[in-house]
Amino acid sequence: MKKLTAVFLCAALLFCSGCGGIKKVPKQTRYQAEFLSLFDTITSLVGYAESKDDFTEASNQFRDKLEEYHKLYTIYEDFEGINNIKTINDMAGIEPVKVDRRIIELLEYSKEQYKLSRGTFNIALGSVLEIWHEYRETGINNPEEAQLPPMELLKKAAEHTNIDDIIIDVEASTVYLKDPLMRLDVGAVAKGYAVERVAEYMLELGIENLLISVGGNVRAIGGKLGGKGETSPWVVGIKNPDSNSRQAQLMSVSVKDLSVVSSGIYERYYTVDGRQYHHIIDPETLMPSEHYAQVTIICQDSGLADALSTAAFIMPIDEAKSFINSMDGVEACWVLKSGEQIYSEGFEQAVPSF
Amino acid sequence: MKFARKSDIIIIAIVAAISVLTWFIYGNLYGHSGKYAEIYYRSELVKTVDLTTGEEGRFSLEQAPNVVFQLYKDGSIAFVQSDCPDKICVKSGRLHRVGEYAACIPNRIYIKILSEEKAGPEQPDIIIG
Repeated sequence: MKKLTAVFLCAALLFCSGCGGIKKVPKQTRYQAEFLSLFDTITSLVGYAESKDDFTEASNQFRDKLEEYHKLYTIYEDFEGINNIKTINDMAGIEPVKVDRRIIELLEYSKEQYKLSRGTFNIALGSVLEIWHEYRETGINNPEEAQLPPMELLKKAAEHTNIDDIIIDVEASTVYLKDPLMRLDVGAVAKGYAVERVAEYMLELGIENLLISVGGNVRAIGGKLGGKGETSPWVVGIKNPDSNSRQAQLMSVSVKDLSVVSSGIYERYYTVDGRQYHHIIDPETLMPSEHYAQVTIICQDSGLADALSTAAFIMPIDEAKSFINSMDGVEACWVLKSGEQIYSEGFEQAVPSF
Repeated sequence: MKFARKSDIIIIAIVAAISVLTWFIYGNLYGHSGKYAEIYYRSELVKTVDLTTGEEGRFSLEQAPNVVFQLYKDGSIAFVQSDCPDKICVKSGRLHRVGEYAACIPNRIYIKILSEEKAGPEQPDIIIG
């Protein structure tokens, strides 16, 4: 009897100490939030908080901050009292526009990426992208009338895509488009860049574990929490670009404090004479880039991941591979139209995937 | 000898506590398995669809009759029609897996796949691409 009592007491002791260990850390429950109002896409947050109210508060702080960037970086909407990128476009050839320093920072960053990517990533391509956008929307809504933009029209627009015509005066905090027909389109970088800035802000607020996705621009802060408060990497599933495949998912990658961006041809496209034309335009051919079905970039900075996903999509595979391999801490996976997957040098080691 | 000593009572209490706890954990881990879809309209949850019934059919939300969903026998669900300009919702295709989601931004409709089962560590936290 005494022995039995001792065994029970030991078990009880273990049990209680276990409980005590958990209780010291307030219980963190996993929550998820989504909103559709910003950057014309889905924003999704997965995180932990002691209560739903706490998580809602953190989500609102995130949303408010991201909204500031949305209002600054949009090329489609006017906001009272704010000079944004649309204002700069509207004032092309007319006068310099005084803007928030966060616009100056984005544009300077984009100019830098233009050089690094040997011109494949170009925010001054707006006049060309506008034409494609218009033809795509018309084609989607009236499939029988779907047409390709005439090459002559595209070539004319391409005369107004010289990135050096973006005149930035850092001191005065102004931006001026010297060419009246030039238009900025920051769609290939703004979301990722904004996500990185807002991630920094969330870190400042003391958030340790949060998974952010703004239209597929994923930024992982910390890792995910297990039942005992331990962290493990977030798992990001990447869809198979071949939607007819029985395998819906291409792979899963495990990430901690990293960004993941996938660019693909299977959502923003339209069909002309039975052929699909997607939205990632090669500045040289002025046509959709045809090398890949999908490119995934993994690196720490979400803005860099976003910009690189466009550059790595436009470059042919040999150039794209050496371009990505030349950068520290950047990995990529290209999916060819045949379905074949090609990895950057350190992809499989740096990013445990399964 | 008394009928029950103090220590016996403690032991009984502990055994009772452990069994309640085990039952609770077991229920959470293995109880109600089941995939379902939540559909949100303007950030409000307006419909929950059980994906395990094996039924198929089309339906719309009364708030947005021009957006049509299709539920498939294999437990997947998709936007199949919409009056939006870009049709990205329709092109998102069929959603199968927990963590997948799609939206019709112009119509402010959002759909995501969830499960009542506890997620394993290899279960994606989000699916992109």
